[in-house]
Amino acid sequence: MTTTAEREDDWTLTAEYALGLLTPAESAAFEDRLAVDPAFRADLADWHESFARLTDGIDPVTPPPGLEDRLTERLFGVPERRGLLRRLGLVPALAGGLVAALLVLFVTNQGLLTGPDVPEGPIYATEMATPAGDLVVRAAYDPATGTLALDRDAGAAPPGRSLEVWLIADGADPASLGILSDDPRTDLTVAADHRAAMPGGLLALTDEPAGGSPSGAPSGAPIASGTVRILEL
Amino acid sequence: MATLADLEKMIGRMALGDRAAFTSLYGSTSAKLFGVSLRILNDRAEAEDALQEVFVKVWHNAGRYQSNGLSPMTWLITIARNHAIDRLRARKAGGAQMDEAADIADATPGPEALAMAGSDRARIVACMGELDPARSDAVRRAYLMGDSYAELAARYDVPLNTIRTWLRRSLLKLRECLSR
Repeated sequence: MTTTAEREDDWTLTAEYALGLLTPAESAAFEDRLAVDPAFRADLADWHESFARLTDGIDPVTPPPGLEDRLTERLFGVPERRGLLRRLGLVPALAGGLVAALLVLFVTNQGLLTGPDVPEGPIYATEMATPAGDLVVRAAYDPATGTLALDRDAGAAPPGRSLEVWLIADGADPASLGILSDDPRTDLTVAADHRAAMPGGLLALTDEPAGGSPSGAPSGAPIASGTVRILEL
Repeated sequence: MATLADLEKMIGRMALGDRAAFTSLYGSTSAKLFGVSLRILNDRAEAEDALQEVFVKVWHNAGRYQSNGLSPMTWLITIARNHAIDRLRARKAGGAQMDEAADIADATPGPEALAMAGSDRARIVACMGELDPARSDAVRRAYLMGDSYAELAARYDVPLNTIRTWLRRSLLKLRECLSR
């Protein structure tokens, strides 16, 4: 039976731990109890919630733009893709993330994993969607054949316009992979010299004059994009 | 503006290795965490280093987030606060003089761009207000400046045991107010 005094002791001890006021020996002893007592952990969570509110008066300060690039490079070894995205005025389209299971379902549904053409190697996939969700295109890439299968789930090019697919790789200019057809499904073959950049590369869609960008470069900012990732099967 | 559910989803995706989710989380929370790091460290270059370390930790520990029972912003702020305090204490141990803090007694909630539970926010401020000003200031100093009992004792010119009793009583009062 826990007495009120013991309970109060535990509360304050937990708060002292959260604040970092305990000595190393006291902290270690506390952590031993924490490990076996869910009530302690719940108390600790409560204190953290309360103390974190003490930062409410601290205004946000935007960190310098280079910091995110350095961080990304450090974590993922992928420098400068962000810089290019920024230049294109691109908002990360995958804000909600995408569910691998859905992709498995998609790839399976598209017949990519059935029939005579079952790929032997890994499959890569992504989804490109506008923030409003009025255009959704899913993509699956088979590196064994260089085939990029695009499935237009929602939306279409405006009348008299074309949706062009671009590969944006580290530090390189966007490379056109082709135009989406009027059918829901488009199969494109990725040119040999772009294949190495597909895994981890960014696929983007732009709104172009019919037939594609006349200049060979995107006419405007991408309207949707997604990073090509390996699909764990 | 990211909601609490958005942030939880991003952290959940990060646990699965989703870099886009990391980018989204950084975009939604880095300014707040940088503000906190800057306030605690009061040194821009060090706060930038600290922010990097914090996001590295966040990326590597995303898988453990679910089990800790914290709201996403609390989890992130706690990581940022603890890391900054560690740096601050290392700096103090190195003998460097700590700058006099900005007005830490002022905890008026600013325009907050991030998702937080509104009732909690008001409550801690109200409950801190119920404490004697010197005592709520001591709690703030411990949290936002990493002051130790020894430092607090020196600051308020009372014996070490007294400051500990003092602060523990304040924390208990705070807890009682918060659970009302």
